[in-house]
Amino acid sequence: MQERIQDRLHPSDLSDQSRYSDSSALADEGIGLRKLVLHQEAVLTEAGQAPARPARRASVAAVIRNPWVGSGPGVDLAAEQLRIAPALAKLLTDRLVGALGGVDAVEAFGKAAVVGTAGEIEHAGALIHTPYFGNLVREYLEGKSIICFADTRAEAGETLVVPLWHKTHAATRSHYQTVGARVPDAPRADELVVIAAASTGPRPHPRIGDRLTDPVVTTKTLEVVPS
Amino acid sequence: MNVRKIVTYVEEIRSEGGRPVSPPARVAVVAAIIENPWAGQGFVEDLNPGIDATASDVGALLAPEVLDALQGPAEAYGKAAIVGLDGEVEHGSALIHTLKFGDHFRKAANATTLLPAVEKRGPAGVVFDIPLKHITDATIRSHHQTIEVRIPDAPHPNEIVIALAAAAQGRPQQRLAPLSTEQ
Repeated sequence: MQERIQDRLHPSDLSDQSRYSDSSALADEGIGLRKLVLHQEAVLTEAGQAPARPARRASVAAVIRNPWVGSGPGVDLAAEQLRIAPALAKLLTDRLVGALGGVDAVEAFGKAAVVGTAGEIEHAGALIHTPYFGNLVREYLEGKSIICFADTRAEAGETLVVPLWHKTHAATRSHYQTVGARVPDAPRADELVVIAAASTGPRPHPRIGDRLTDPVVTTKTLEVVPS
Repeated sequence: MNVRKIVTYVEEIRSEGGRPVSPPARVAVVAAIIENPWAGQGFVEDLNPGIDATASDVGALLAPEVLDALQGPAEAYGKAAIVGLDGEVEHGSALIHTLKFGDHFRKAANATTLLPAVEKRGPAGVVFDIPLKHITDATIRSHHQTIEVRIPDAPHPNEIVIALAAAAQGRPQQRLAPLSTEQ
């Protein structure tokens, strides 16, 4: 019999529990929010063996109305970006931290967006590639690294593979990993899905070395390797 | 029971049909990806030893997890068994269609009705829908709903995905007349 998952907080431990019952708050958070989706994985065994450092990976996706649908490429994205991106950064990182057991538990992070078919990929970028989202996600998750990302334009139900790397040491190879994010009925053509993702540790069995252990590899050093 | 991975999926709906949903409607799924207890054994006539070795354990693992993920009492629930390509659908059914599995969830949720279920066989990444019905009266129409799940790398051919789903309420914007009005 497997033990219960070790590091999940009991609901009563969540300081922000009130948000689930506070019906006075705007249901759509003032940003056209339709739904939030949490995907989380805990690997208990991989290749038949328990990881030395078990990690939990999670993504949280927010489905919002695309505020720029119908506007042309000449339109300035700044105003809506300033209004929406910080709210998403707070909402998504709150959920991530709640799911993964606290900000100290988060070791790796990533971000992503899917724009519906009536929007531009630039609309996705406007919400994840500027300081109004990225800097705040980094601050809320207490990281230093630039945040790696994925984005695409797609029909509802597209699965996005969200890349993650270490939140303070991006070159830490053991923490290069991905987590899936998918909302079955989003994005509609006029919607955007914005995603923040994180992991509490490395891949299950990391053993591909690191920059510190790598030999010098150039085309010249490889010439001595028999082919 | 060999568990490879536990996957949690939670949806929180804030608006539907263009109108706010307040409080938000929450549905949670927790899935355990386990090794098929009958993998590699050919056709096994008597499934009972495998059922006894696994069904109660996986039910006990999932029931508290899905209620934790829901973060509130369940009003509707359902279950799933998705068998990898080398197994039989009967293997998945064996693990979920027994009181040894379902009673953990019924007890934890103070529920009384049968758990609606999906059983199917598919490749890793197969999409499946879990039906949910009310936990004490399966005729309560407002609570008939489904949740769609996809786990990118499960089930492997020798695995089974066993899942429980719980909803804190009926459908958002539910407004159908109850069954009794048609009887």
